[in-house]
Parts: sequence; structure tokens; C-alpha cells
Amino acid sequence: MEDKKNLIRMAYKVQEALIMLKQSRYLEMMRQLTTFTGQLEELTAQSKKMGISLLNGWFSAAERCCKSVNRLLGDIPHSVSKLRQLTNAPQKELPKLSTLFDELNQVQQEFGSLEIDNAKSTISVITESITLDDVYLGPFRIQLELQKFNELYTSSPYHVIALSPNPAATDETVTHPHVSNEILCEGDGSVSIRAALEQGRLSDFFTMVKSILTTYNPDSPYVALIDWSGEACYDCGYVMSRDDIYFCSLCQRDYCSECSTYCRCCDEGCCVGCAEQCSYCEDQVCMNCMQECAKCNSACCSSCLEENVCPNCKEEMENNNDDQECKISEAKQNGNPGQPETSETQIKLAS
Amino acid sequence: MRLLYINNDGGGFADYVQVSEGTTVEQFFKDKMQGSKPDDFLIRVNRQPVPREYVLQEGDRVTVTPTKIEGAEI
Repeated sequence: MEDKKNLIRMAYKVQEALIMLKQSRYLEMMRQLTTFTGQLEELTAQSKKMGISLLNGWFSAAERCCKSVNRLLGDIPHSVSKLRQLTNAPQKELPKLSTLFDELNQVQQEFGSLEIDNAKSTISVITESITLDDVYLGPFRIQLELQKFNELYTSSPYHVIALSPNPAATDETVTHPHVSNEILCEGDGSVSIRAALEQGRLSDFFTMVKSILTTYNPDSPYVALIDWSGEACYDCGYVMSRDDIYFCSLCQRDYCSECSTYCRCCDEGCCVGCAEQCSYCEDQVCMNCMQECAKCNSACCSSCLEENVCPNCKEEMENNNDDQECKISEAKQNGNPGQPETSETQIKLAS
Repeated sequence: MRLLYINNDGGGFADYVQVSEGTTVEQFFKDKMQGSKPDDFLIRVNRQPVPREYVLQEGDRVTVTPTKIEGAEI
């Protein structure tokens, strides 16, 4: 428990941070106004230039003015929209020191713990251990950094730190389905969280962050809880998310992309172990599409086999047939039809 | 009578509202958070939890904060 003096000191720092935030909002407004008035001045200048160009009949100069005006007309609505965002939400009065003290006291009561680091100007609470859909995520520290308070409109002034991290198997920076690199994606809570911080309602801020941490939105997580532990590749053991799994229909197991391939004959996915290389075309094919040459017994894919023999054996057989045909035709030319030379030799040898 | 109502649901706002004398916290919640279940919210009056039959007083500070807020991926 923090003592009263410490709470008052921190309440004072929160008030200072809120003043800085207020100032940063007006500074941003000034910056946007300067940009906007600059654009209007340039528009006026282009209008004058166009008038002079027309008076002198300088049509190419007038065309250049047209292009500049067109560009400015595209930029101005963007500036107006930014300015509107800043001017639409009127600033509330700064909370009194006593109110901020009450806020800190309430945080202490609600969470049972409040850690104040005066040197770093941080206020932290620790949640109870969180388990979502039977996945243990452990307790989290919600750490509000007052020095980053004036960056509220551009970045997050707080961190969500896992104290007993059980990160997603596929991404160790994701310690919660909605936390990555210690930054919470607030989703539905973003506007109300910002409003609470702007008004110094620290208790509401910490309560809302806790509400997000204890709620799981399956529609938009960094890593879905169903994939939290990941799936191991049966071959190399690499842990991957459900979306990265390749299923081998032959051995009925899950593999990673490195240990998977596909059959070039039937286009079915299979693991590297269930695929073989065709001895002729050297493509990877699945076991179902791999056959044996009836002549040389070599492994050959069904695309390369012709009449159950591989292309090499087929060629050899064709060459043999051609030789025989040549010899027959030679024999015919020598007046001994139907008796090829080889047959004569064979007869002689036989006798 | 006038009281400060802080609603942390949706856009989140804090403003003064008028309620009639004798309004209980339960009636106030039903009126302001139509269609919502009280179990899904932390309701605090003057920073403290109160029973549903608590009768609101002039100047009370009522805070309604959802216990279930869906986060997202950036």
C-alpha cells in the first residue's frame, strides 16, 4: 500500500501531465492551423497568378496554376478533417488535486495493489492471473507512464507487461490475444480509455484495461487462442499456427511448409517423406503416382511411363526394333527376302 | 436533483444529469443503459460499490464501467 504522502505527490504529477496533455492538444491544433492557413494563402496566390496568365494569354502558365489548385483542393479537406477532430471535443476542466488523490486511492482499493515509481513517473497495478478459454496467460502489470501522457493522441502512454508470460508459440511478442510488444489493442475500448485518461479518471482507465484483458474477442486477435500452443511439424518439430499447416493425405499427418511438397502428377499436397523423385523427369511425385518400369524396375512417375516402361527403356526397345527393320530391308535388297543376315549367322552357328 | 454520470461504455462520457428524487441505482441503470445487463458492468456511486436499492442523492457521482470490452488486433 502506498502512503498518503506518496499518493499526493503522484496526484500532483498526474495533474502536471494533464496540463502538458492539454498544452500538447493546443500545440497540435496550432500546427494544423498553420498548415491550413498556408494552404489558403497558396490558393490565393495561385488565383492571382491565374488572373495574370489569362490577361496575357499565357495558357500553359494558367494550366500549371490549375494543377496547383487541384492539388491544394485535395489537401484542404484533409487539414479540415484533422482540425475538426481537435476542435470538436471541448476540453473539460482539469481535475483538482483532491480528485486525483481520490482516483489513486480508489485504484489502490479496487486492485489491492498500486505501485508508484516517482523517479520514472509511472503508476502500475497488477491484475490477478488471467486465463482465457483454458489458456493460462498469467498476471499482467498495467503501467501508466506520465512522461508519455502528452503523446496520448499519437501513441500509447501505457504498457501491458506479462509477469508470468506464456506467449503464443508462433510469436513470443504476443503475450495475450490483444497484446503485442506490451501494447494493448483497445478495440471497442479505445475511445472511452482515451476519454478517461484525458479527464484524469485513473480508476476507470485501469478498470477498462483490465476488462479488455479479461475478455477474449475471437474475431480479431493477434494470435487466436485455439492456435496459442501452435502445432508441431511431424517431421522437423517446428511449431506453426493452424493457417501454416500442410496436411499430407497419404500419411495423414501435419507438416510445415519446408517439409511439404506436392505431387507434380496429381497436384495433391503431401509430405517430403511420401514423395519420391521420378528417375526420368526428376519431379517429386506422390507414392500413388509413382510406378515401376516393367523392364528396368526403376521408379518412374505415371506421366513418364508409356506402356508400363520408362522412356529410357522405351527408347532402347524402339532402337532395337529399328535395327531389326534395317537388317530385314538390307536382306531384301541382297535377294534373300525374309532371311536377314543375323538369321543366317545364327543358322550357321547352330549347325 | 443533479448528479454526475460517468459512462465508460462505447464512446465514454462524463456529464451532469437530472434525476427525480428517490431514484435507486437499479432504476437509474435501467433508464440510462437500456437493454444492458447490470452483471456486465461495475457500478460505483461516489467510488464505492452500493446495493441495487441504494437511493441516489444530490451530487452523487455514478460510474458505469463495462467488465467485458472486446480488444482487437491493430
